[in-house]
Order: sequence, then C-alpha cells, then structure tokens
Amino acid sequence: MKLSRRSYIVLCASMLAVAAPAYADSVDTLQKIKQAGKIRVATDLANSPFGMKDADLKPIGVDIDIAGQIAKDLGVELQIVPTTGPNRIPFLTTDKADIIVSTLAKRPEREEVIDYTQMPYSFSQSVVGAPKTMAISGWKDLAGKRIAVTRNTTNDTDVTKKAPDATVVRFDDEATTIAAVVTNQVDIIAQSPEFLDVINKRNTSKQMEAKFVVGQNEYGIGVRKGNPELKKWLNDWLVTNFDNGTLNRIHRKYLGYDLPKDFKTIWK
Amino acid sequence: MNYEFNFTAVLKYWPLLLEGTWVTLKLTIVTTVMGMVVGVVCAVLRTGGPPWARRIVGAYVEVIRNTPLLIQAYFLVFGLASAGVHLPIQVAGSIALIVNVGAYTTEIIRAGIDAVHRSQIEAAECLGLSRLQTYVHVIIRPAMERVYPALTSQYVLLMLASSLLSAVGVDELYGMATRVQGFTFRNFEVFVMIGAFYLLLAVVVRHAFVLFGLLIFPRRRKLGTAL
Repeated sequence: MKLSRRSYIVLCASMLAVAAPAYADSVDTLQKIKQAGKIRVATDLANSPFGMKDADLKPIGVDIDIAGQIAKDLGVELQIVPTTGPNRIPFLTTDKADIIVSTLAKRPEREEVIDYTQMPYSFSQSVVGAPKTMAISGWKDLAGKRIAVTRNTTNDTDVTKKAPDATVVRFDDEATTIAAVVTNQVDIIAQSPEFLDVINKRNTSKQMEAKFVVGQNEYGIGVRKGNPELKKWLNDWLVTNFDNGTLNRIHRKYLGYDLPKDFKTIWK
Repeated sequence: MNYEFNFTAVLKYWPLLLEGTWVTLKLTIVTTVMGMVVGVVCAVLRTGGPPWARRIVGAYVEVIRNTPLLIQAYFLVFGLASAGVHLPIQVAGSIALIVNVGAYTTEIIRAGIDAVHRSQIEAAECLGLSRLQTYVHVIIRPAMERVYPALTSQYVLLMLASSLLSAVGVDELYGMATRVQGFTFRNFEVFVMIGAFYLLLAVVVRHAFVLFGLLIFPRRRKLGTAL
C-alpha cells in the first residue's frame, strides 16, 4: 500500500487521538465500590512505615491498616493497587483505583485534579538527613551538594524550591531513593526521620542523622473529583474513627507517638 | 470522548522540557561516539584478534545483549558506588548506555566484516597494502557501509532507551516530563508532547547519521548506490 504524505500525517494524528482516554461518568464511586464488592486502594508498598511488607510478605503499615479498616467498615474486600509517588494520582484520575491512601499530602496543584478528605488520617515530619560528619544546619548549607528525593513528592517540591543551589537527584520510588543513599551514591536525603533508621540499619557505616526539619506533612485520602457521596462517607468515617481512637491507635502502632488533639481541624 | 486537552498548562513548563531534551541530546551524542568506538574495536578483536581477546569480547557481547539495560544501569550507578567507586550519576549512566550499545554495535559490525569477501582481502594483499591499510580501507569501511542502516536504527533505539536513565536519577527528557506531569497532572498532554519531542529527536538522529554516512563513505557520495 502506498501512502501519500498527507494521508500519512492524518494517520499519525488519528493514532494519537485514539490514544487519548475516555473519561468520567455520573455514577458515584461509592455505589460502584459496593456493587463490585471491593475497594481498590492506590498505595505504595515500599514506603515504610506507611506501606511495607512484613517478614511473611504481608502488606502492613499505617496506610494499609487505614485502607483495611475502611474496607471492613464498608463491608467490601480490600484490593491494594501498588503505586509509587509519581504515579498514584494518575492511577486515581484514570480510574485504576478508587481512592489513594498513600502518604498523600495536600498541595494546591493536586487539589486541582483530585479531591481530599476534609481531615487527614496521619502525619509525619520530613527532615533533611545526612551523615554525622557533614556540617549541615539549614538550606544554605546544601548549596553545591547533591540531595536525593523521590520525584514529585512533597519533599521534591520543597527541596527544589528552598535549596535552588543544590543538585536535586530524583528517583522514581522511595525504595530507589533509599538505595541511592545506602549505596553511597548520594549522601543527603529529604525523607521522614523513620527512613534514616532504615538506612543506618542497612549500611552501618553511614551514620545518618536528621539535620533539620523540612516540614510537617499531614496525609489525607485522595478521591476522584465528582464523587460527593464517597467523599462524605470517608469524611464521616475519619471523624468517627478519630473520636473513637482508631486513627490514633494505628498511627501510634507504627510511629510511636500520638496524633495532636486538634487533628480534626488541622486542615481548616 | 470527553477529555479536554489543555496544552497551555503544560507549555508553561517548557524550560524544563527543553532542559530535559538537551540532557537527552548530550547523552545521545556522547554515547553514540563512544559506543561506535567500542563497537569497532570489539568487532575487529572478535573477528581478527588473538583467541583470548575473541573469547573476552564474545563473553562481553553475550552478557550485555542478554541482560536488561535497566539492570546494567542499576549496577553501574548503585553497585559501583557501594563498592567504593564514585562516579557522578550522569557519567555512570552514560557508561551503562555505552557498554550496552557497544555490544550491539560489535555484533552489527561483525556481521558487516563477515560479509567482506575473502577475495577482497587477497586483492589488498596483492596490491601490497599493509595490514592496517587493509583493515581500514578494505574491511572496516565497506563493512560499516553495508550495515549502516542497521547501525542507524540501533542508535535511534539508543536515544529512546536513554529514557530508562530517569529511573536512576538522571533528569533527561522523560524524567523532566514526569516532573511536569507531577506539577500539572495533565498526563496525556505531557505524553503527547514528549512523544513528539522523541519523534523529532529520532528524525534528527537519523538525518545526522545519513549526513555522517555521506562524509565517511566517499563511494556512496559519488555513486549514490547501496553497496
């Protein structure tokens, strides 16, 4: 078959158009979850202590326990959809997951594409960590140094903005970012303090310590836009389970300290 | 289909995409030149070198062609660092690409060398050409000319494969595109755009190869026919 140049271009363009997605319908995800008898939760299983696997390779962590409790209270089966920092929101917006429970901090640019629950379910600090021998006490000391972050996470956004003279080295998931530091490829990292222990355990010569706090992140549940029923159900669920202490119990179990008293109104 | 395309949100980040394109282009140029050198040297060693060299090159080609590029990159970026060899990530990543494409180039050029007829080499000997002259003018150049189309597509593939380095911390075009996607969440716009960027880069690489071919193959330049 001989193609003229013009029809060739039309063919290419139409192939691109077909590749675009068909989106959105009017049925609330809450009904679809109940109909299907299962809830698909996007979460990262390489993000200790929020999502990880125990010695028997069973998923555990704050995010997993929260997701499990939601599924139980909805009376449906929990289906974990493994994602990473960069792709969890695309998974939600393209309907490959029903909700995100994956250390999802609130960001204005994220709120343009997805909805958040009105209160978070957990929180953690994030710090700049480096070996003990390095003298670092603030953003200025990072100038000219290389710092490892996971692409498109809150840490990436913060470090990129606040340390413009540092070289930010970005990896696709938390596991690779940790690996970069464990293998001495990069010495400085922006992460939750819990991760520094993980690094020190795997590479005992590393002696990582928290140098300064980047910020505190509260983690909410991500819901696809246009699902008021599901959002309302989750909001009520969060309030109920904060009041009865379930949220605190789960948070304490993995992080060792309590949720603040004003946690319910922290996003207001 | 009711997805509304919004390219303006993505275009706001064009400096990032441009930076990524530049990194991809730099990676491509460096790895193409070095990969070609590695390929020619190894092909010559594999066809005409001493037995031990043939065996070493053979092992190199087999190991590299039968393992994924991503693992080779992980090995060079993280593996060497934990063994105490400190290379900047971009350098380690480039080496991974060179090592990878070098193995493929070796096999392609070896095929070209095998296709040089024995009588050609005998004729060169009769004309009193030295061993080096025979290699350069009678073996390698016609061999390269014969397999040049295969080499071209291998190096276009190399340019596309450089996107894998985003996984080990190199912010090339794909890595930058993922970041833009993270700022805007306009996934399809970003993918359509970098698809077009890669297409453009592929056209550039292909044309560069055609022009370079005319430069190094005077026979083709004068006659314009395939060997």
